[in-house]
Amino acid sequence: MNRFHLLHATEFIYDGPVYESYNEVRLRPIHDDRQSCLSFRLITSPASRGSSYKDGYGNWIHVTSILAPHRRLRIEAESVVLVHEAPVPEPGSMPLSGLDAVRADLLEEHFDWLAPSAYVPYLPEIAEISKTAEAGCDGTVAGFAETASDFIHNSFVYQKGATHVNSSVRDSLALRAGVCQDFAHLLLGVVRMRGLPARYVSGYIVSGSATAGTKQEEVIGGQASHAWAEVFLPGSGWIGFDPTLGKPIGLRHIRVAYGRDYGDVPPVRGVYKGRAGQSLSVDVRFRPALDDSGHEQIAEAKSESDHSGGSIPERPQQHSQQ
Amino acid sequence: MCLSDRGLFSGYTAGPFYDEMFSAQGCARSHYARLFEKLGVMAPTQFEDRRKHADLSFLLQGITFTVYSDGRGTERLFPFDLIPRILPQAEWARIEAGLSQRVVALNLFLQDVYGKQLILKDRKIPSSLVYSCRHFRREMIGLEVPHGIYTHVCGIDLVRDSSTGEFLVLEDNVRTPSGISYVLENRLVMTRTFPEAFQEHEVLPVNHYPAELSRILRTLSPRTDPDAQIVLLTPGIHNSAYFEHSFLAQQMGIELVEGRDLIVDGVVVYMKTIYGLKRVDVIYRRVDDDFLDPLCFRSDSMLGVPGLMGAYRAGNVALANTPGNGVADDKAIYAYVPTLIHYYLGEDPILRSVETYLCDRSDHLSHVLSNLPSLVVKSVGESGGYGMLMGPSAAHAEIEAFREKILADPRNFIAQPIVPLSVVPSYDSAARCMAGRHVDLRPYCLYDGQEVTIVPGGLTRVALQAGSLVVNSSQGGGSKDTWILRGEC
Repeated sequence: MNRFHLLHATEFIYDGPVYESYNEVRLRPIHDDRQSCLSFRLITSPASRGSSYKDGYGNWIHVTSILAPHRRLRIEAESVVLVHEAPVPEPGSMPLSGLDAVRADLLEEHFDWLAPSAYVPYLPEIAEISKTAEAGCDGTVAGFAETASDFIHNSFVYQKGATHVNSSVRDSLALRAGVCQDFAHLLLGVVRMRGLPARYVSGYIVSGSATAGTKQEEVIGGQASHAWAEVFLPGSGWIGFDPTLGKPIGLRHIRVAYGRDYGDVPPVRGVYKGRAGQSLSVDVRFRPALDDSGHEQIAEAKSESDHSGGSIPERPQQHSQQ
Repeated sequence: MCLSDRGLFSGYTAGPFYDEMFSAQGCARSHYARLFEKLGVMAPTQFEDRRKHADLSFLLQGITFTVYSDGRGTERLFPFDLIPRILPQAEWARIEAGLSQRVVALNLFLQDVYGKQLILKDRKIPSSLVYSCRHFRREMIGLEVPHGIYTHVCGIDLVRDSSTGEFLVLEDNVRTPSGISYVLENRLVMTRTFPEAFQEHEVLPVNHYPAELSRILRTLSPRTDPDAQIVLLTPGIHNSAYFEHSFLAQQMGIELVEGRDLIVDGVVVYMKTIYGLKRVDVIYRRVDDDFLDPLCFRSDSMLGVPGLMGAYRAGNVALANTPGNGVADDKAIYAYVPTLIHYYLGEDPILRSVETYLCDRSDHLSHVLSNLPSLVVKSVGESGGYGMLMGPSAAHAEIEAFREKILADPRNFIAQPIVPLSVVPSYDSAARCMAGRHVDLRPYCLYDGQEVTIVPGGLTRVALQAGSLVVNSSQGGGSKDTWILRGEC
């Protein structure tokens, strides 16, 4: 079990004044039987009136609104998360050939996780990868998903800036390169086309240095937002695969939101009025919430944070105080 | 009273279709007898005079609509035909019961599909069909809507099948159906054009519609304030139904607003007025889901109100109709409406539906592909007669082009046999005589969560081109006043 304190700051700087700015924020880590979100606070500057709700996939969405003109918007999400051991496939995983018999049932149960989506269309190139993975695996659904993930990890180059946030798998297939978002989309396409439900996971990967007591480890993508995929393996349930890292999901993966693809779960999405361009910076910091000698650091973290903005409560219909 | 060489109707024959006015023997049906007697003795020139008078009324009142597909975006007068469509009250009573049943079932379906999804869990309707609907709004899942009402206003299209004389449901419109303003205006113009006819017939009134809609909107208000602010949200003057939006707002005495007139602060909607911001409680919105809130739906929408869905979710504003209703009038879901009625109400459907083939079912698809020339093929998410193939009148190339479209995206298409629509005598101004023209009927149903109220009759749309079966105003159709006669059976 790992316990992390994380601070995710998003800052928009505008060329000129903007107003009537509304944002949907998906930054609250998932709270379920594999991960506990012990605390979550969202602070905006300028201060914002807001509300929050849980969407159909179980993600928390916070909505902020700032009417007055501003040139800078900072959104800070602070959370404390407990990460438990990730589940692994049950031994004796179902053979791939067994999928045909349950295809219709899976489609009924998991339509959104099987259908092609905006970022993950069904393409012949993806079907090719699917065939390669099937030929190279042990013939089980678990083996197939793992082989597919490894294949993507080994055949595509992790390259920052190769693609952009709106790139679909078409771009990364053409470039044979991409970032974690693209790697996750590729894996979604490969397993979905073979008939396995799969969902996009938006979250974080914590680098080794932030994990007290664990060996320092280089993480591709750095200390920042991360994305991977979870595949529904009949008999085992939802199992995560990280094609960017090429390693199993562990105690350093923090899940924030599930979607059909990136389009369902951008961390911050919004609209504003005003004729101004924007630049964006994102800064994510982690530290173990317990230090090496076991001292609680959460209180200290709170006192450090900037209270100039209003905080957004988690329950709808309440207004924040500035 | 039978057809003979009588003035206006000289040369008129009923033809092979069910004639709403005349029996197969050429005699006026009893509910049309008095009108026939009256019109029969009218000289064509007299009739022409009345017709010009009526046309002028429509022009002066600016009753128009806009046609999109011809690229000119022109505003047109909605063609009006003076011969009313008359139904006896007994027949109407059955239609009314059937429509009420359908509206209640559709509302229960929407509650369920955005709630517990029991009908999907019970496998009465494929969940893949629901989830693949273009208008299924995942944003609505789990959202509790005021009083559980989704289908506040429904326009359900009916046709009479000439081969059986039976009324069938052709399609449901439960998003933002339009046309009621024509029902009200048609009646007004008819009473001016043929005042004496209304003395001789006991025609059930329709003019209480705005009051009834206004009453329902008022009950949705989250505040009990007697001055609850109700507004009609329009996309603006370029929308095809803008006339109706301004008409209804005026009739109900509520503000007509565009998206830019509203603003959301936190989770409360306000209207910008010269007196400052005024809180808004209920929005009768005539803006499509896609454009309603750029934060929640299409971010490029300039017509909507950012943050509106947040205010709605918080229960601070009511919306009618409810977003996400498009899943219930998807043309593939239509095939399951009888199932919905059985499932939710335990009843047999009073009104039957038209036989429907779903192109994403392989058994149906092969039937459709081998019978395209005799079928009508519709795109499931479209309305207004757009994206449609009329097999019998389509050229070979058009059919082949549609075949490709269907094969590329079978889920997007359904096919139905052509229903031989009934006809009503209509005045052909070029030939200066009466001729049978095909009609449908769109009654408007209002639902307050307890009861369905339907103004008697509805909009009778008529395909003014000889032989045409497409009655949509966007495709060149016109309309008629629709009379439900008290006590007639």
